[in-house]
Amino acid sequence: MVILMNEDKIVCRCEDITLKELRDMIADGYTRLDEIKRALRLGMGPCQGDICLEIAAREICRMTDKKMEDIKMPSKRPPVAGIKMSELVGDNQNEK
Amino acid sequence: MLRKTGIPTSDDLQSVTPDKERLLEGPVAIIECFNEIPCDPCFYSCPFKAIKKFSDINDKPELDYSKCTGCGNCIASCPGLAIFVVDYTKNRLSLPYEFLPLPSVGDKVWGLNRAGKSICQVEVIKVRDPDKNDKTAVISIKLPKKYLMEVRHIKVGDPNE
Amino acid sequence: MILLINTDLLVIGGGPAGMTAALKAAKKGAEVIIVERYHELGGQLIKQTHRFFGSKNEQAGTRGIDIAQGLTKEIQNMSEIKVLTEATAQGYYEDKIVTVSYQNKFRKIRAKRIIIATGASEKMMLFLNNDLPGVYGAGAIQTLMNLYGILPGKKVIMVGSGNIGLIVSYQLLQAGVEVKAVIEADSEIGGYLVHASKIRRIGVPIYTGYSVKSAIGESFVKGAEIIKLDRNWQMIAGTERFIKADTICLAVGLRPLVSLLIQADCAMAYVPELGGDVPIRDENLKTTNDQIFVAGDAAGIEEATAAMLEGEIAGLKAATEIGYLSKDAITESRRLKKELRKLRNGPISRNIRKGLSKVRGDDNVKKNRYSHLR
Repeated sequence: MVILMNEDKIVCRCEDITLKELRDMIADGYTRLDEIKRALRLGMGPCQGDICLEIAAREICRMTDKKMEDIKMPSKRPPVAGIKMSELVGDNQNEK
Repeated sequence: MLRKTGIPTSDDLQSVTPDKERLLEGPVAIIECFNEIPCDPCFYSCPFKAIKKFSDINDKPELDYSKCTGCGNCIASCPGLAIFVVDYTKNRLSLPYEFLPLPSVGDKVWGLNRAGKSICQVEVIKVRDPDKNDKTAVISIKLPKKYLMEVRHIKVGDPNE
Repeated sequence: MILLINTDLLVIGGGPAGMTAALKAAKKGAEVIIVERYHELGGQLIKQTHRFFGSKNEQAGTRGIDIAQGLTKEIQNMSEIKVLTEATAQGYYEDKIVTVSYQNKFRKIRAKRIIIATGASEKMMLFLNNDLPGVYGAGAIQTLMNLYGILPGKKVIMVGSGNIGLIVSYQLLQAGVEVKAVIEADSEIGGYLVHASKIRRIGVPIYTGYSVKSAIGESFVKGAEIIKLDRNWQMIAGTERFIKADTICLAVGLRPLVSLLIQADCAMAYVPELGGDVPIRDENLKTTNDQIFVAGDAAGIEEATAAMLEGEIAGLKAATEIGYLSKDAITESRRLKKELRKLRNGPISRNIRKGLSKVRGDDNVKKNRYSHLR
């Protein structure tokens, strides 16, 4: 068990991204969510950003003086949830 | 203040309490429902039509004290568990109760006020838990007159536990 | 092997909105498939042990779990409805097909109309140590406690005084768990006052104008430091106080689950009053994609009673459009819409009404945070 001693708050639980990492990224000029997503993997875990993207959007608004409705959201591609390889390609052992 | 603490003020309570004369006549329902929410089952529960028909489902319930017999049918019908029956003639209070185990008749339990503080010991005199109440039991307790408008919940066992 | 299934109506999500939508359409003759992620129907209803508010005619006074069981039974008795449980809708594609993971196979469903009733996800909150074991969402606690019979802890701090926070506090108390406090950032209680009074008289203090500054503990929650907020929701230094607890329960709001709607190119609008991005739709819950309706929390966060009415309205209209015409459809639809209006007529629904005014018409397209993807 890692003992958390730092002053950090978790923004993205799936990918373990902290508020500090997010803020540093925005301060570096990454002010679009899709950029941040690619650079940090924010929103690329099992929940696909359902929890963290909203928090990240609010942080961008706060730091760049934007409104929530002006934040462009990353695209939502299928599959919506996790999926097994075998579901896609089949698990027939004979088909090599 | 109710909206900050969840505890109705004496002004709030005054608006749902009949006058002294009516209180001394016999059992009557006290409907402690203070905000306008979309809800109407209490109207349908009253066999005496003492609760006025809602013209807007968001209206607060209005009780005609002269028609109310204190039968307590409405107690278990209220999804907010906000209806109580007080009887100043017998020093009795009936309240909704959704905890297990249910107390038994004769049990001495603690009477809690609206802030959850235990203020007196009370005696259970009736436990109603028919199927039609759908697991909301109605407990009647005997308690000192001065606490009839104070006690709103009971606690079985040690009050400090 | 990829299987293609054809049907009249596909309902995605078997919660209150999805169930009533399927039933209404099936009763008009439509062939319906319900895709539900969990192993039984009911959505959040199956965790609700409290009696519902609303109109007596619309199941008020009945406990959520009983409403779910009643609707499930009705659905099982309809040969027109096929229910796929433990099935997840995975995507919507340009050829109007929905893909579904079901029984370890990736299937395609082609439907004449689709009703998306995917519900919502819980919002998270930022505070120090918010990833400590013992920090839960209220939905998770309800699942543990009411579905699996497992207590989350012994002493709980509830964050959020909306109806969910108040109701889950009450359920915890019923389960014998001590609720140490309800913390509310706003200056007033968010949920129904009857729910608040109900837990207050059991002895649970409600701290309005407070927030959680940090969870305390090294490998699990041992308590929380709460702090007073000023009018602008800024923490006031020096007002911290420690509350001992082993569980912190977050009930800080819900957000509509709209991924499939976005994939289906439905025009969206960012409406904070409804919980986030929601689809633009007409009074029949039809989105800007002619094949697709929305209902329930996916259309905007509201109570289950409203979700059930929305489901019925959408189901009725979808059946009509597919070709299952009935003489009374117009009057029936009018009655349902009237019921819904009545339900939303009170002061408690002011925000909902404000939000709904933003999801109709073209002037809202500028609030579309997904417009760059179209």
